[in-house]
Amino acid sequence: MAIELSNYPQPDTYDELLDEQLRPRNAARTLFGYLDRLGTAELMARRESVDAAIMAMGITFTVYSDAGNIDRVWPFDIVPRTMSLKEWARIDAGLKQRLTALNLFIDDLYNAQKIVKDGIFPLEVLAGSKNFRPQCKGMTPRFGVWAHVCGTDLVRDSDGTMYVLEDNLRVPSGVSYMLENRQLMKQLFPELFKASDIQPVDDYPTQLYDTLAALSPHETDRPVVVVLTPGIYNSAYFEHSYLAQKMGAILVEGSDLVVQEDDCVYMKTISGLRRVDVIYRRIDDDFLDPDAFRPDSALGVRGLMRAWRAGKVGIANAPGAGVADDKVVYTFVPQIIKYYLDQDPILPNVPSWMCMAPDQCEYVLANLDKLVVKPANESGGYGMLIGPRASAEERAQFADLIRANPRNYMAQPTLSISTAPTLFGDRMAPRHLDLRPFVLQSDRLYATTGGLTRVALREGSLVVNSSQGGGSKDTWIINTREP
Amino acid sequence: MLSRVAENLYWLGRYLERAENTARFINSTTQVLLDLPRDASFGWDVLLKVAGLDQVYAEHHPNMTQADEDSIVSFLIEDPHNPSSILSGIHNARENARTVREVLPMELWERINSLYLYIRDNAARAQAGRGPRNEVLRGVIGRRESIIGLLTGSMSRDVAYQFIKLGRNIERADMTTRIIDVNSAVRLPRDPALAAVAIERMWMSTLNALSAYQMYRRHVSVHVRANEVVNYLLKNGHFPRTVLHCLGEIEGCLSVLPDHMVAMKKVRQAWRRVDAMQLDNLKPTVLHEYLDQVQTDLGDVHAALAGKYFHLHHQTAEQ
Repeated sequence: MAIELSNYPQPDTYDELLDEQLRPRNAARTLFGYLDRLGTAELMARRESVDAAIMAMGITFTVYSDAGNIDRVWPFDIVPRTMSLKEWARIDAGLKQRLTALNLFIDDLYNAQKIVKDGIFPLEVLAGSKNFRPQCKGMTPRFGVWAHVCGTDLVRDSDGTMYVLEDNLRVPSGVSYMLENRQLMKQLFPELFKASDIQPVDDYPTQLYDTLAALSPHETDRPVVVVLTPGIYNSAYFEHSYLAQKMGAILVEGSDLVVQEDDCVYMKTISGLRRVDVIYRRIDDDFLDPDAFRPDSALGVRGLMRAWRAGKVGIANAPGAGVADDKVVYTFVPQIIKYYLDQDPILPNVPSWMCMAPDQCEYVLANLDKLVVKPANESGGYGMLIGPRASAEERAQFADLIRANPRNYMAQPTLSISTAPTLFGDRMAPRHLDLRPFVLQSDRLYATTGGLTRVALREGSLVVNSSQGGGSKDTWIINTREP
Repeated sequence: MLSRVAENLYWLGRYLERAENTARFINSTTQVLLDLPRDASFGWDVLLKVAGLDQVYAEHHPNMTQADEDSIVSFLIEDPHNPSSILSGIHNARENARTVREVLPMELWERINSLYLYIRDNAARAQAGRGPRNEVLRGVIGRRESIIGLLTGSMSRDVAYQFIKLGRNIERADMTTRIIDVNSAVRLPRDPALAAVAIERMWMSTLNALSAYQMYRRHVSVHVRANEVVNYLLKNGHFPRTVLHCLGEIEGCLSVLPDHMVAMKKVRQAWRRVDAMQLDNLKPTVLHEYLDQVQTDLGDVHAALAGKYFHLHHQTAEQ
């Protein structure tokens, strides 16, 4: 029996795999032909085998609760999200353009601040930025690059336009799931990988290693690269461990490192202290160095900023890179691209209103029931107001927050983000999703082919976060050989 | 290798070995009890002393009249206040494995996790009498053995492997001396003929606890005699649970690690001391002292390892 699509609801927004008549789009055609031939029973059997494989591979994220530490399995949907290489090529160029401009911007902010002097970027936005670190002023890291690893969240609106929702420039996570998802899919549908030209993703660890190795402060054949993790209590610990393993790097905690009087960073090994060249840190600026940032941090390394400023160690992402990871700064990215690169942005921003501008603030306050309002510096969906779903009382409370600190808020229309067929039992149902490609920059510029597709598994839900009922899908960029 | 990781691996090896040997220790004791002639008796409080846990027990059981079989066995199997209980040990091993997952074979974490779930879910059943207890503890032993099999069959003999093996062998040698020492808790009957029977049965149980009975019969004697058993379990170089065999394994691990001079000296010192022990016609009190000496020597080996390989990590902890 073929996979039943006759019950698939008529899409009320853009569907990634099916057009308005529920016919597979170009890039999804081979997939659906294959699923038809495979039949429901076989498909369900394969899904069971994939669940077992997820357990066996230990792909988990950790949830800590009173009941003890639980490694929860990351929910995975076996229907991939497909996209044509032709469409992807444009996105790829847009991602690289964006990160290049953002890095020029960060470097400028910590040095001459030309963009402020030229009146493009308001001083008051800079002054109100929680993630601007005065400790980084006057620094220019190698290649002038601050954000070496960027996770850019993309969403598609009902008219088919792909928007950038946010740029994650601090410690973006999720790439390990992208890699593991592909491994699973290759085991699951080997025939499909033979039949269609699906672009590979598995060179990411090598690309990441090379990106990091280029940051070594001295010439060496094989620089010592470490992944700095806050430890097992961090929800992304699995990923830290996974990436260290794949790169042949060493997974360290803050207490494994020490900065000596020569300003070099060393790790404590069984044969004594050993010099560290590059740190891929997965802890926030605040916790990086108790001498420079939060003095009560036990996760970081005392003197690390001193070592970095002395040019004795490479740190990715550089301290202070988060200044450009700010919802208000985000609204300026199109101007930032224009200013530094003299180009028009390839990927559009979601239209946004900044509450710091009085006329825009007025609009936001008057239209709270239609808008999504976000605080500037939070991540993971915290402190947001989703206007259409909030009560009048909640909206009133939020309006007070905005009036008290307009710099801290920006608003966007509620997008009708795209869906894709997702398997539940023996039938497909549409679920909303986003896409997080990972972009790397040091002496090179690289973007993953596709990225991590996160899907809101609850019907109607727009929340794709793993902690709130989100799951993931493999993302297939397919060369459909269109002209 | 990072000091922290080395230490975690070492303790991972020790915790798992301790859990398995505690299970063996309890089963052996139970065997002794079953086999004793009627007018022999057993001092459960002595057992705690042999295990080195009398003080921890006293802290949590201010009324020492509770030193009966059920309380003590529960303390050894599942008491979270007892850092050496089987449940605590496996829980700690699991936490250690979690922090060093990147240097271990993938399935190892799963196996350790399933061992943990097994004892967690079956600890209560182990309290339902000697029969179920024996069954649950054998479940622990079997699962632990499958973990060793996995390590042996799927892990490179790299530095990480050596640290797990070091921990395993130090703990194993130590636990072997303690399992031998269980017999000091037996009060023999007055009648010499009955006493002789009791002694033979005691030592047979000891051999059984260490899975050594068959090999002993094959390589030493079909008769179970105290001095020969002690000699075998301390000095036989071929059986994998004897003290000398473990010391040999430790020496082998050390030889591939950097800067091993001090620790190596301690291992050889321990080896020579065991090798020189005169074990014929031993009085039980002297045997007990000898076993104490072996435990002290193993403690010195541990201190030398920690001083060389783990101390950098510890400096942080004190800062």
